[in-house]
Amino acid sequence: MSTAAAAARAASPDACWHCGEPIPPGVDLHAEVQGEDRPMCCHGCQTVAQLIDRAGLDRYYDFRDALPERPEREPVGAETFLAWDRDAVYDHHAMRDCNGHYQLPLVLENVHCAACAWLIRRFVGSLPGVIDLQVDIADGRAQLLLDKDRTPLSEVAGRLASLGYRPHLDSPDASLDRDREQRREMLKALVVAGLGMMQVMSYALAGYIGAFQDIDPTSERFFQLISMVVAVPVALYSGRIFYRAAWRTLASGRMGMDVPVALAMLLALGSSIVITWLDAGETYFDSVVMFIFFLLLGRYAVLVARQKAGRLHSALARALPTQVRRLTPDGAELVSLVELASGDRVQITSGETVAADGRVLRGEAQVDEALLSGESIPRRRVPGDTVLAGSLVRDGQIEITVEQLGQGTALAGIVRLLDQARQFRPRLAQLADRIAGAFVAFVLTAAAISAIAWTFVDPAHALPVALAVLVVSCPCALALGTPVALASATRGMARLGVLIHRPDALEALPKISHLVFDKTGTLTRSDPELVETRLEAGLDADQARRLAGRLERVSRHPLASAFAPFDDGAPVEQAQAVASQGVQGRIDGVEYRLGRPAFVGEALEARPVEPGPGQWLALADGQQLLAWFRVELRLRDGAEDLIEQLHRDGKTLVLASGDRAANVQALAERLGIEHWHAEQSPADKLALVRSLQAEGHRVAMIGDGINDAPVLAGADVSMALAEGADIARTQADLVITGQGLQRLAAALALAPKVRRIIAENLAWALLYNLTALPFAAFGLIPPWAAAIGMSASSLLVVLNARRLGRS
Amino acid sequence: MSIIYVLIPLSVILMVFAIGFFFWAVKNDQFDDLDSPALDVLDDDEPASKTDEETPDRS
Repeated sequence: MSTAAAAARAASPDACWHCGEPIPPGVDLHAEVQGEDRPMCCHGCQTVAQLIDRAGLDRYYDFRDALPERPEREPVGAETFLAWDRDAVYDHHAMRDCNGHYQLPLVLENVHCAACAWLIRRFVGSLPGVIDLQVDIADGRAQLLLDKDRTPLSEVAGRLASLGYRPHLDSPDASLDRDREQRREMLKALVVAGLGMMQVMSYALAGYIGAFQDIDPTSERFFQLISMVVAVPVALYSGRIFYRAAWRTLASGRMGMDVPVALAMLLALGSSIVITWLDAGETYFDSVVMFIFFLLLGRYAVLVARQKAGRLHSALARALPTQVRRLTPDGAELVSLVELASGDRVQITSGETVAADGRVLRGEAQVDEALLSGESIPRRRVPGDTVLAGSLVRDGQIEITVEQLGQGTALAGIVRLLDQARQFRPRLAQLADRIAGAFVAFVLTAAAISAIAWTFVDPAHALPVALAVLVVSCPCALALGTPVALASATRGMARLGVLIHRPDALEALPKISHLVFDKTGTLTRSDPELVETRLEAGLDADQARRLAGRLERVSRHPLASAFAPFDDGAPVEQAQAVASQGVQGRIDGVEYRLGRPAFVGEALEARPVEPGPGQWLALADGQQLLAWFRVELRLRDGAEDLIEQLHRDGKTLVLASGDRAANVQALAERLGIEHWHAEQSPADKLALVRSLQAEGHRVAMIGDGINDAPVLAGADVSMALAEGADIARTQADLVITGQGLQRLAAALALAPKVRRIIAENLAWALLYNLTALPFAAFGLIPPWAAAIGMSASSLLVVLNARRLGRS
Repeated sequence: MSIIYVLIPLSVILMVFAIGFFFWAVKNDQFDDLDSPALDVLDDDEPASKTDEETPDRS
């Protein structure tokens, strides 16, 4: 229907109807949407699409103008959020209103466009206990008003998660309220100025026309007085944003662009009051109000663009689990994070995230601390060792005593550091601010000189000329040019599926000469695929794969995911995963083993020998070897095109991987990457990037975000590929969501455009200010025309930047 | 012409009322979400009602 929806819909017929990703070869999934059979790329998309269609909300696909991220493979239901129904959660996160309903803020993942908000309101809002649900698409937050007796919070959360909008609890956030308050204040000031402007302009117009038609002096005086009555409160109310800002910069001993603005407003307002009082000639009420209105219009546009683009989601909330298993003398109970206290004992099993800093009491496990240290290899943790919140337990089960919680954890410290780092203004914007500061001093001097010069020539013109100089040469456009372009580009990129954490990176991106790629998880997919089945005895290939699929169900090892598509759901008895070895289980009375040759060999007499190079898993029953499976990491979609595009652009490509030389070399040759380095630790990769930088090159690092954290931090621009929950954990400048590399290619293509628009904006602003100034100084521009010219130049800069937001 | 001495102050008073009404609307969250309500009119179905207990699962 709408062009936006058509544009968002995947262009090629072999793209997933739900998320727009290309469908991997060999996948044949479908879902019926709007009465037609649509192709799907994965079970996650299929589940969500069927859910949407069955709920009669299929018009979502017509409304949306941005593609969603791929939902997580395993559907998440209400049971994941059971701990949220506990009273402590309501006490800590919710506010109770007079009707006994609870008001809760939630942070939602993957909310991108108005259609998401619509879908959420329709699908979740129809639950009986949901009194009201407001979704703010700008920052992915929702305000839920819930009657918990009719629908428990866990059900609302499960429903959100099943659509792919996984919710996170959020403590009421002061910065968010501040943002909204700021937006409202600005909007109120803007509307007051607009209404006031219309009134004052009409009186002024009456005065101008009256001048030709012999208006009687009483009426003229009346128009002047009524102008003052309207203009003075309006200018004081709407203009206070500028007076306050100017005062703050002056008080801190600096020069800001608000200084001449505020000065011009107060000067024009004050002199007009005096003139009206003395009944001594022309007033400037109309100019003042118009000036304020147009300035506010520009500022409001910037504020909204910036708030939309720059929302930092509460990373801490997302990195931690939704519920924990606390051990009490009476057994284990599921509790929420807020109930946890220092000294509590908590049980964590394989695949779960540690909720608090603590010490291992019992058990042992491999713990992956990639989020905290960037170290991708899991470490063994035994009783007495410390574990940190945010790390992931793989293979094993541990009991810990909680030592540090919430803001006290190492993770919270890291998040704080990141927040601080993000507070820095973009470098170019700082430069523009400095230029603007110098420019303001120049403008003030110029205004003073023109005023003094005109008092000798024609004292009646001294004031209007000084006002015109002050207003016309306000360097607003100069200071706005860069930030507004970066904010728009951030939004444009988000539409392409590229999230930007550090807008500065956009500006640095076109200057990059070297791109260093990680191999596993970046150029190749992170989840392995079954590429070859060799039969040994008794089974056909389909049977063998289905057996393997059932057996691997219990395993959380990455290799197990290669078999998930073949799992037919039939029961397995005594299924058991043996850490880093394999799985075993009984199906229809036969004991099977699947895994490493050595592990499978234990059940047979001899250790079976792999039939060829590569990674092979053996399947055997008690007597004999049944089949071999070869699993392999496949290239990501779009990898070849991306490499080709980068070669065309003359970039130097480097492949750096922790993998063995043979594998890295094979991939480099296949893709035509000239430089490659194998068996690189994160430190080696960082050294590689540093040495390239030492040679004067600009280096971009593309990794999978978590394992490569230190390298990403060392590069000039870092980019990471991430999906689902990892998106929030990633610390790269640019995060490419989804499975394919096409989005990275699109982002690289957009970056030079950003630079061009910034350059255009700055050039235009400088040119305008420098040409308009002499005209104003010579009295050729009246104050009202100066106000229009200045505002028009700011608006032009904003509109130019907005081109980047559209894609 | 003397009618303007009545009408213009009246228009100013009206403007004050308009501003008051606008402030009230801002305070009541009317301007917080300007994107998604636009989609509601495209929807032919009954709006999600709080009174019906049925789940959206129609099948």
